[in-house]
Amino acid sequence: MEMIEEIPRDWLEEFEAAAKRPLELRFRYAFIKTYKPIMDDAPFRSFDTMADYRRWCEENLPRWLGYARV
Amino acid sequence: MPAFEYRQAEEIREALSRFGVRYLFIGKSAAILLGFPDTTQDADLFVDRNPMNGRALALALRELGFALTDEQEAEIERGKDFVQLKNGPFDLDLVFAPDGIERFEDAWNRRVEVEGFPVCHPDDIIASKEAAHREKDRESLPRLRAFREYWQQRRGRK
Repeated sequence: MEMIEEIPRDWLEEFEAAAKRPLELRFRYAFIKTYKPIMDDAPFRSFDTMADYRRWCEENLPRWLGYARV
Repeated sequence: MPAFEYRQAEEIREALSRFGVRYLFIGKSAAILLGFPDTTQDADLFVDRNPMNGRALALALRELGFALTDEQEAEIERGKDFVQLKNGPFDLDLVFAPDGIERFEDAWNRRVEVEGFPVCHPDDIIASKEAAHREKDRESLPRLRAFREYWQQRRGRK
């Protein structure tokens, strides 16, 4: 149990609580939908490479969405 | 578009199984399947890239209600690295070459089954997020690593 003791207590309590919930309920708590500008404005996008996708995100999405590389 | 629901995950599982598609849940949706308490917007699937699997996937997506043009279907069959679908009953990201994972087969061999859902091992979920180097992942990684420790300990106790 040594490793578990290293996990911050509040996180550990959240993990324990989630483990007691049925999967369907975990889904209800986890999946949310908020509009993401530009990202949500096209019905289909595809990229030949992941590098192309990352570049597109950086060049087109607002920085606050968090898709830029660090 | 409403939030992704459990019954839609079941529909994915059933349709892709019916068409024999080899895939894994990856990303935060995969972590949530494993029990990680966090929020996300949509589901991400890591799909084995080969022509037969791509064809089966395209057929399954059409059955699920995705409005794919012939050209889009061809791109899925070909297995572009990343495909973002917002033309169906729910949003879905298809990843054929996630950062940080060398081969689908390796991730498949490490997979975890959760109520019939094929899910990437936490090591692979974390490896792909680490390799992506995105701001949003950098924020969630410490908690996700802590969850991996918790998950492994809990698994060892069972």
